[in-house]
Amino acid sequence: MDRKELDYYAEDKKRSEKKAEKEKNAKSPVNVWAVIAKVIIYVVLIAISIAVIYPLVYTVAGAFSPGEDIGSITVVPFQKGFTFSHFADLFTKTQYGLWFKNSLIIAAFTSIFTVIAATLSAYVFSRFRFAAKKPLLMSFMVLETFPSFLGMIALYVIILKIGGFNQLWGLILIYIAANIPYNTWMIKSYIDTVPISLDEAAKIDGASNLRVFGQIVFPMAKPMVIFLGITSFTAPWMDFIFPKFLLRTPDKMTVAIGLYSMISDKKDQFTLFAAGSLIVAIPFMIFFMMTQKMMITSLAGAAVKE
Amino acid sequence: MVKSNGSDKNKILLFSILFMGLSHILFLKRFGKGIVYAFIEAMFIIFTVLTTLVGSGPSIYYAISDMITFGVGADGQIYNAQAHNFILIEGVMALVIVGVFIIFYVISVQDALRTYNEYCMSKRLEGPKGLARTIDESFPVFALAPAIVLVLFFVIIPLIFAAIVAFTDYTTVKQSFNWVGIENFKYIFGGNATWTKALGSVVVWTLLWAALATFTCYFGGLVVAVLMADNKIKLAPAFRTIFILPYAIPSIVSMRVWFSLLNGTSGGIINRTLMSFNLIDAPVSFFSSVSMARFLCILINLWAGFPYFMLLSMGTMTSISADVNEAAKIDGASKLQIFRNITLPLVLYQTAPLIIMSFVHNINNFGAIYYLTGGAPNTKLSTTTYAQGTDIIVTWIYKLTVDQGQYRYASVLAILVFVVLCPVAIWNFRRTKSFKEGEV
Repeated sequence: MDRKELDYYAEDKKRSEKKAEKEKNAKSPVNVWAVIAKVIIYVVLIAISIAVIYPLVYTVAGAFSPGEDIGSITVVPFQKGFTFSHFADLFTKTQYGLWFKNSLIIAAFTSIFTVIAATLSAYVFSRFRFAAKKPLLMSFMVLETFPSFLGMIALYVIILKIGGFNQLWGLILIYIAANIPYNTWMIKSYIDTVPISLDEAAKIDGASNLRVFGQIVFPMAKPMVIFLGITSFTAPWMDFIFPKFLLRTPDKMTVAIGLYSMISDKKDQFTLFAAGSLIVAIPFMIFFMMTQKMMITSLAGAAVKE
Repeated sequence: MVKSNGSDKNKILLFSILFMGLSHILFLKRFGKGIVYAFIEAMFIIFTVLTTLVGSGPSIYYAISDMITFGVGADGQIYNAQAHNFILIEGVMALVIVGVFIIFYVISVQDALRTYNEYCMSKRLEGPKGLARTIDESFPVFALAPAIVLVLFFVIIPLIFAAIVAFTDYTTVKQSFNWVGIENFKYIFGGNATWTKALGSVVVWTLLWAALATFTCYFGGLVVAVLMADNKIKLAPAFRTIFILPYAIPSIVSMRVWFSLLNGTSGGIINRTLMSFNLIDAPVSFFSSVSMARFLCILINLWAGFPYFMLLSMGTMTSISADVNEAAKIDGASKLQIFRNITLPLVLYQTAPLIIMSFVHNINNFGAIYYLTGGAPNTKLSTTTYAQGTDIIVTWIYKLTVDQGQYRYASVLAILVFVVLCPVAIWNFRRTKSFKEGEV
């Protein structure tokens, strides 16, 4: 490389540096705007965060502050001391442990049997052709739109007739039935995306329908099954309408009924309520925080329901 | 034996109509299936004809006829002493059993004809297949049975019953109720001024509530998702974790907390906070004016509902394929342009159907109203109709059923909800992929 050429390159380099500097200068006003925009976004996000956390702060404050009603919590939390006594009261002065057990039984059984029944029917809807398929799918879709408590009066009579009144299992049957239409559709859409060639190959190898279901379809549908297992757990877990209507004796009370009864127009046991609420809400909050990535995808998947 | 050239189609049809499963057994060598079908028909005949003639045991005929007369004969004599609600539910169940039986009949005839067609094509009748094969082939029936039986008894029958009660005068104080035709509809839709007024105001508020609640949560969630989508926001995951909290907390808990914070006495935190900043002099009773209470319902519902749409928008944003963005970038589009012309339209397009589903959800959103205000405040109409200022249709139905035992009017309202939601349900079905691809 001769001298001339090197000079040329040096000059070129200088030129390009100059150009870059020029661009940077030209860009700088834009950067100011970007910074301002960023600050505004942060301010907005922080403001929303405060609004979101606001009631939670007082729930926590209530659970650990001495006193009984909402008036005993200070505006700036924890000005009057700190106590664990409400948690002890829950288990000594109320039947919280029993309520918790009842709610857990109802929610767990509902979730398990919903998923089993819905996955089985979804598999049949997805893989078999039969006469009543269209009307059945259609009616499941229509039923999904109506809240099950519209038929509350009849459910009361039916449950009374089969001896399920004031029994946890009566409630569980109602919840499972109410969950089936929606869950069947969700799982069916999911199974539809599992290639049918897999089950066909297994069938050629002599696998029975039950085996194809248990060893191929069910494992493939697992993400959706888990998602629906959770949603069919949470709904009955904190339901108020049916337990209030169909469970009557104190030994059958659920957490939702117990908590609700602590705060009304006439009664204010906010601190006890807050303590009881924390026990049920914290596991959910931790769970949702941990699985938020998965939920974003699941919800987006559920949105484009097929 | 039947011929395989298709000429015996009418014979198959005739025999399968004559008795369920007869063609299967006589001509088609489907003995197992045929016996099951024949058994179904035999049971049906026993419980409609035999038990009716003998006069003992459950009779489908009597169940239906008693439903019409409530067990009272033409001579005024009571021959069915059961409570009227039991008579009614048995009647509905009997009707549903008849319906299911007819469906089975149609299916059995169709199945016989299809089997015959197959025989005509292949010229070969498959003999008995052995127990294991038969069980395997009936798998769909066993797999569907639990779901269908449960839905039938705990969803469909109750809904039919609820609809029927609207034509009776059933209340808790009137256990031996009777048919009254469309009296209840007349009473509520114009017959009684107070009830008509209450209905009008509840329906208007329900629709307004559903529209505003959906709109605020949808755009609230979308805006938050958009604000955080800028990848220069390094703390986005932290913010997202905070914003997800209202979605995680059961609404009965969060709404009761809000109720307590907004307590109208000097104890309420919000009142005390406002007073300590000298913004107000005396505690404000937030739920005493209808418009204030309604405004708070929508505001607090925004608090509870925006995270769902935020997650949804984030999900659709991340699912937009990177190729599209890449292509736009190569074409020289700026970030803002990509967002405005690609991301936003796609997110809106994908989440738009959910606006309608969310509208339906909000029409039925019992918890957001009942756990927060319990329907309060009272209005002039509340003493007669039990409908309060923030009551939506479903909370009103709940009060009429559980607290007041006015089943007849609750059922009229339930029918109203059906009528409003049915078009949505059908629309929802028609937009599914299964429907569009002609699969069902």
